[in-house]
Amino acid sequence: MSPLLLILKELWHHRWNSLWTAAALTAAVALLVAVRLTSQAAQRETTRIMRDLGFNLRIIPAATDTAFLWAKGYSDMTMPEEFVRTLAAQKGVFMTFNHLTATLRQRYPLAQGELLLEGVSPSISDEGKKPMGFSIPKGQLYLGSSAARLLQARRGTNVSLGGKSFAVEKVLTESGTEDDIRVYGHLADIQSILNLPGRINEIQAIDCLCVTSDQDPLGQMRTALAKLLPDTQVLHVRALADARARQRQMAEKYAAFSAPLTLAIAALWVGSLAILNVRQRRSEIGLWRALGHGSGRLASLFLGKAVLLGIVCGLLGGIGGTALALAFGPSIFHVTAASITWNPNLLLAAIALTPAFAAFVSFVPAMIALNQDPVETLRAD
Amino acid sequence: MITCDDVSREFITRHGRVQGLDQVRFSVARGEFVTIKGASGSGKSTLLLTLGGMQRPTQGTVRLDGCEVYALSPADRARFRARSIGFVFQLFHLLPYLDTLENVLTGLPPGSDAVAGRKSAVTLLEQLGLAERARHKPATLSAGERQRVALARALLKKPPVILADEPTGNLDPDNAAAVFEHLSRYHQAGGTVVVVTHGTDADRLANRAFHIANGRLKETTR
Repeated sequence: MSPLLLILKELWHHRWNSLWTAAALTAAVALLVAVRLTSQAAQRETTRIMRDLGFNLRIIPAATDTAFLWAKGYSDMTMPEEFVRTLAAQKGVFMTFNHLTATLRQRYPLAQGELLLEGVSPSISDEGKKPMGFSIPKGQLYLGSSAARLLQARRGTNVSLGGKSFAVEKVLTESGTEDDIRVYGHLADIQSILNLPGRINEIQAIDCLCVTSDQDPLGQMRTALAKLLPDTQVLHVRALADARARQRQMAEKYAAFSAPLTLAIAALWVGSLAILNVRQRRSEIGLWRALGHGSGRLASLFLGKAVLLGIVCGLLGGIGGTALALAFGPSIFHVTAASITWNPNLLLAAIALTPAFAAFVSFVPAMIALNQDPVETLRAD
Repeated sequence: MITCDDVSREFITRHGRVQGLDQVRFSVARGEFVTIKGASGSGKSTLLLTLGGMQRPTQGTVRLDGCEVYALSPADRARFRARSIGFVFQLFHLLPYLDTLENVLTGLPPGSDAVAGRKSAVTLLEQLGLAERARHKPATLSAGERQRVALARALLKKPPVILADEPTGNLDPDNAAAVFEHLSRYHQAGGTVVVVTHGTDADRLANRAFHIANGRLKETTR
C-alpha cells in the first residue's frame, strides 16, 4: 500500500489530532502572512506618504550662510549642476534613494516688485519609480498669483525676463504664502535669466531615512556625503521624516516580535501533537518493524504526514492570512488600508515553507518513533 | 531451520539486571511444530522476538535458514524478516485505520507484486472465513476475527516460519481452536511453526514441546 494512502487513512483515523495540528499550522501561517502583508503595505504607504509630504532632504553648498538661508529660503551660494548626477550615480549615500531634483532659487528684482525665481530640473528617480513633482518644459513658466499680477500675465500670454521671452503655461491659485511670488521654470531657463549657467543652489531629495533621529540618520548620511561631495552640506526636514520612520519601525518591531512568537507557539503545539501521535501509534511502529519495514518507511510515514499537512495548511493559511489582512488590515492600519493587496509570492512561500517547518517540528517525534524498542511497542496495546 | 546457540539476553531495569534468556540452546527443523510454554515473565516472548530478529541477544547466535540473523545490518535484517518470518501476536496489532483486506496486505513484503498479493489476500480471507468482513475495520471485528486477520497477514507472503506469541491468549476456546486449525494447515503444508503459549491447545499439534523458566529453556517429554 502506498505511503500516501496510509498517511491519508491515518490522518482520517486520528482526525482530532490531525485537525488540531492543521489548525495550529494554518493559524500560524495565516497570522504570519497577514502580518507580512500589512508590513509590506505599511512600507509602500510610508514611501507614498513621504513622497506626498515632499522632499525631506536639502543638499546645499557647504559655504552657505545659514542666517541668509533661513531668512530668504535659499542658499546665497551656488554649486555645479553635475552634483545632482554624481549623487544619483553613487550608491551608498542614501538608505533608500527615491527622487533627486536640482533647483536654482533666487530673488529677482523688478521695477514694480520682487519675484522669486525657481528653476527646477527634471526629477531623477530611482529605478522603477515614477518621477515626482512637476517637470516644466523649456521656454515655459508657471507663475504664482502675485507674480502673474506683477508681470501682468495670464495663461497663454508671453512674458519677458532677463531679455528672453517665455510662454506662461500656468498661473497658480493664490496660496497666501511666499509661493505667490514664485516663478517656476526649467532649470536651464532660470540659469539663463540669472546668468548662472550650469549652477544650482540646492538639491532636493527624498530618502526613506529608515531610522529615527535618535539613531542619527543625518550623521550617517553626512559621513557618506562628505566623501562624495565634500563641498556640500545636508539639511534634514526632521519632523516629517521622524513621524514616518517611527510608524514604520513600530510596524517592523511588531512583525519582528510576532513572527518568532507565532512560530514558537506553532512549533510547540505541532510538536506536542506529533509526540502524542507517536505515542498513540506505538504498537503500529513495532508492527511495521515486525513486518520487515525499515526506518526509511517509518520516517516516510511520520515525516510524510507532516509534509502533507504542511502543504495543505500552507495553502489554507496563505489564503486565510491574505483574507485576514484584506478584511481586518484596513481597520487596524488606517493609513495603509489601500496598500494591502494579495501577494502571490507570499502565498507560494507559505506553500513551500510550511511543509519544511512541519517536517522540522515533527523530526524529533519521528526520531522517537524510529528509536522505540520494537519489543516494547509490540507489548503496548 | 532455526538454531539458537548459547543465546542470552540481559535487561537492565531500575531494580537491577534481569536475565531474560539464559544460555538458550535449541534448534527447530524445517516443517516442525514447536510449542514453548512458561509462566508470565519467564522469557517466552523474549525468545520468540529474538528468534524473529527483533531483539538482539546479549550473547550467542541465532541462525535461520542458515543465515546468522544478527550478523545482518538492520536494513538487511528487516528485509530478511519481511521475506522469511510471519509473526502472530496475542494483541493482534492490526492497524485501526485500515480495513481487513488492507491489514492483510500490510503483510506483503516491500516490492512485491501488488496485484498478485491482493488476489492471495482475498483467497486467504475466504479460507479463513473472513470474506464478508473484507471491508470492515478492526474495531468492528470480534477478537477471533481479528486474530484470523493477523494470521492471514502472516501467511500472505508464504513465509517458511511462523512465530506466534500467545496467539490464542485473548480468544475463547472455539476461536482458539480455529486459529490452531489454520496454523496446523500451514504446518501440514510444510511450514515451520513456533508457538509460545501457556495453554494446552497446541499440544496435540506439536512435534516437540519446550518449557521456559527464568530464561532457561528445557525440552519436555510429551
